[in-house]
Amino acid sequence: MIPATLTRSLVEICGRDAVIVDEDRLLVYESDALTAYRHRPGAVVLPRTTDEVRDAVTAIAGHGLPIVPRGAGTGLSGGAVALNGAVVVGTARMNRILEIDAANRRAVLQPGVINAELSAAARPHGLYYAPDPSSQTTCTIGGNVAENSGGPHCLKYGVTSRYVTGLTVVLPDGTVAKLGGQGREAPGYDLVGLFVGSEGCFGIATEIEVGLLPLPEDVRTLLGIFDRIEDSGRAVSDIVSAGLLPAAMEIIDGPTIRAVEDSVFAAGYPTDAEAALVIEFDGVAAGLDGEAERAAEFCGRAGAREVRSARDEDERLALWKGRKKAFGAMGRIAPDLLVQDATVPRTNLPSILKGISEIGKRYDLVVANVFHAGDGNLHPNILFDRRDRNELERVERASKEIMQLCVDSGGTITGEHGVGLDKKHHMPLIYGAAELDAMWGVRRVFDPAGTMNPGKVLPEDTAPEWPVAGEVRDAAEPMIAAGAAP
Amino acid sequence: MSTATAPGALAGLLPESRVLTGDAASQWAGDREVEAVLFPADTDEVQTLIRAANETGTGLLPAGAGSWPGAGGWTRSGGVIVSTARLDSVFHYEPADLTLTAGAGLGWRKLAALLEPNGQWLPMDGPGAGEGTLGGAVACGVPGPLRARYGAPRDNVLGLEVVTGEGRLLRIGGRVVKNVAGYDLVRLFTGSRGSLGVITRVSVRLFPRPGADVTMVFEGGVGEMLEVARGVRASALPVAAAEMTVRRAGAAGGESQLAVRVLGGREEADEVCTRLAAGIGAAPGTTLRGGESEVFHRRRTAWEGRSPLVVRLAALPGRLAAVMGWAREVAARTGGRLAADVLGGVVRVKGSPADDGTAGLAGKLVSVRREVEAVGGTMTLSRAPREVAARVGWTGVGGGGGPLARKLKSLFDPCRVLRSRCP
Repeated sequence: MIPATLTRSLVEICGRDAVIVDEDRLLVYESDALTAYRHRPGAVVLPRTTDEVRDAVTAIAGHGLPIVPRGAGTGLSGGAVALNGAVVVGTARMNRILEIDAANRRAVLQPGVINAELSAAARPHGLYYAPDPSSQTTCTIGGNVAENSGGPHCLKYGVTSRYVTGLTVVLPDGTVAKLGGQGREAPGYDLVGLFVGSEGCFGIATEIEVGLLPLPEDVRTLLGIFDRIEDSGRAVSDIVSAGLLPAAMEIIDGPTIRAVEDSVFAAGYPTDAEAALVIEFDGVAAGLDGEAERAAEFCGRAGAREVRSARDEDERLALWKGRKKAFGAMGRIAPDLLVQDATVPRTNLPSILKGISEIGKRYDLVVANVFHAGDGNLHPNILFDRRDRNELERVERASKEIMQLCVDSGGTITGEHGVGLDKKHHMPLIYGAAELDAMWGVRRVFDPAGTMNPGKVLPEDTAPEWPVAGEVRDAAEPMIAAGAAP
Repeated sequence: MSTATAPGALAGLLPESRVLTGDAASQWAGDREVEAVLFPADTDEVQTLIRAANETGTGLLPAGAGSWPGAGGWTRSGGVIVSTARLDSVFHYEPADLTLTAGAGLGWRKLAALLEPNGQWLPMDGPGAGEGTLGGAVACGVPGPLRARYGAPRDNVLGLEVVTGEGRLLRIGGRVVKNVAGYDLVRLFTGSRGSLGVITRVSVRLFPRPGADVTMVFEGGVGEMLEVARGVRASALPVAAAEMTVRRAGAAGGESQLAVRVLGGREEADEVCTRLAAGIGAAPGTTLRGGESEVFHRRRTAWEGRSPLVVRLAALPGRLAAVMGWAREVAARTGGRLAADVLGGVVRVKGSPADDGTAGLAGKLVSVRREVEAVGGTMTLSRAPREVAARVGWTGVGGGGGPLARKLKSLFDPCRVLRSRCP
């Protein structure tokens, strides 16, 4: 519950239908797609414009309440969970594409635009938006900006931050700042790059400028079937080190294949296989066949029992189906799913995959892997039932061991899902006190009062003494001059 | 702040063989007055120097090989240069992972020699890349024409080791290609031009060298080349880079060249070239292949040479013709030449302040900046005589960074010992 005065202010700013305080309706917002963390927000407000966001943020912060920005709630790290009765500022109604500037291959949009809808709108111009998280038919670009989202085709095209060229942001104290814009040449520090991936801790992006790419002219898709998962990992590493640059390379392991084939999403993968590797090349038609043939050869040499290739769009979609529907299919096996997101150096894939499988066996857990192999970005999914306390405990221990294994091999704890609530206590695995201290410092540059998405990303026990030196010096300065849009 | 003994105190922290003073120091710095040039040999020494600078209030100017004196506009004269040129070890290179970690001082030639046998490269082609150091290119963060295909330097830096202005050692990012753990400080430090810290170690993403490197060189008048450039921009074919140069700017029908670079498999590159030329209805004067194409573009990274004035104008690529017009006005006064990244919308002018003196040139630059900013673009002085910079300002709108940038500077360099300026 939030104070009645705040409810009244929010209704005045955004309209009655844009403010949710009813306990039942708030249930919808109690978690993101990582359902292990559930906290009901104090209220939800759904503004439509930058001005409404600014006024809402000012009103909420004025009441001393924390704010949690939220897109479509498809995040997988608990980043949009509202702790301590925080007020959720949702961007669902900010869903307008403001401009598609085909000549300059860019678009300007509100944060609530759905990822796939942007590509659909750009398509008539022969363009598309490259980052393609698996949730792209529901997730928002604003959420992608907050999480610096990836996706299968980021192997060739890069992640969200490569495509965001400008942002209008509402800072936690209610001021509006314009960062970058009109292409990529803004002088000074890369504040756009710093903001992307800040997981809702620095402010709320209310207008986003992104770069678009020409649609690839043609595409070739292959599916390699393997009896051992390590072999599929080796094929990936061999393909890349041979100088081929596929648009995507995705591995689906045995347990996942069986889950998919047992479900309504059955894609025709052999159920006795231990790995399926989807490889896709795109670009101009000339040379694509040659590249696909070479990739198929590498699969064969690494031990693939079979390599299929798609001859038309229907076949291509069929090859992809098992990958795209993997998460949905797992829901059949167990009520709960813990998905990890570590990235490891590609050459370590075979040994890491083996290690993960051993950890799963040791803790008597089902671990299903479906992941962006080309980037070395793993998604081990641990399937469990959280009503079973003993199993839950084993899940936590296995999860930590898997993470440690990946970090020890030169990897990181999250490649695209973000730290959020879920992985903040793992941050010390990869960063020391000085780095965490620097991140706290930067967070406080944007949010000196600690209003925005508190309790996420950085473990509280690493917070430096308050206040930090930089802020003492500048304490008299306003955060950013109102309306001083650079 | 700085005392007469302070630079001496800092110099005393290193063996004599890694310290330059007096004329030798100024010469190294491109005839700029500096008190000393120090060459630390490892991260610990960098940290020791920065801590000593904080204790003595000595201003430091971070540098790489010193190949671009004055880049980023050092804020005042004097001070001590800390060059990372000796930090040139390679710590980790796994060809199959396409990643490399090396000291900031690793030179481009040494880097290229290391990568070439494995058929790999680091496609950073900003001004000065090729002559300077890896750390210098990352600290400046300025993209060249290959941004169209490979992204800007900031897109390919995976991790950094930095000693902040306060003397703290930070290891940020990592050496894997996808990493969203924590806030993206790597992007903050990349392109910050040594104003927040001295970059001591860099991890980058490498790329396989494409099987074919082909450059079609079109030649003609400026208007004609702008038209060809427009065709290249409008084409959906994968062009890796396109750069237009004007040799005798200002002259009517001045001679102009447009180099269109296509990278890919042999079959693919040939087809792209054929279809592109047919699509824009122009035939290249010459076509460079393989090593010839590569050398042509490598030379371009040294295009600025030692010109005392380098101006960078940028706007959306659709504005190229207008921006080119304004750039030519500047060039006409400075005996200058132009180079334009036609896919990125960036036009560079190089030249010397003309005979009509500083005031006339400064006035022109101020008016041109106003025009560029009116269409949403920017004009930055990359290099300029101090009196010109003082009148014009290194950057215009959005320069200096506003309150957020000032707070970030205070956070990492509270005593302001790093005297380099981020535009």
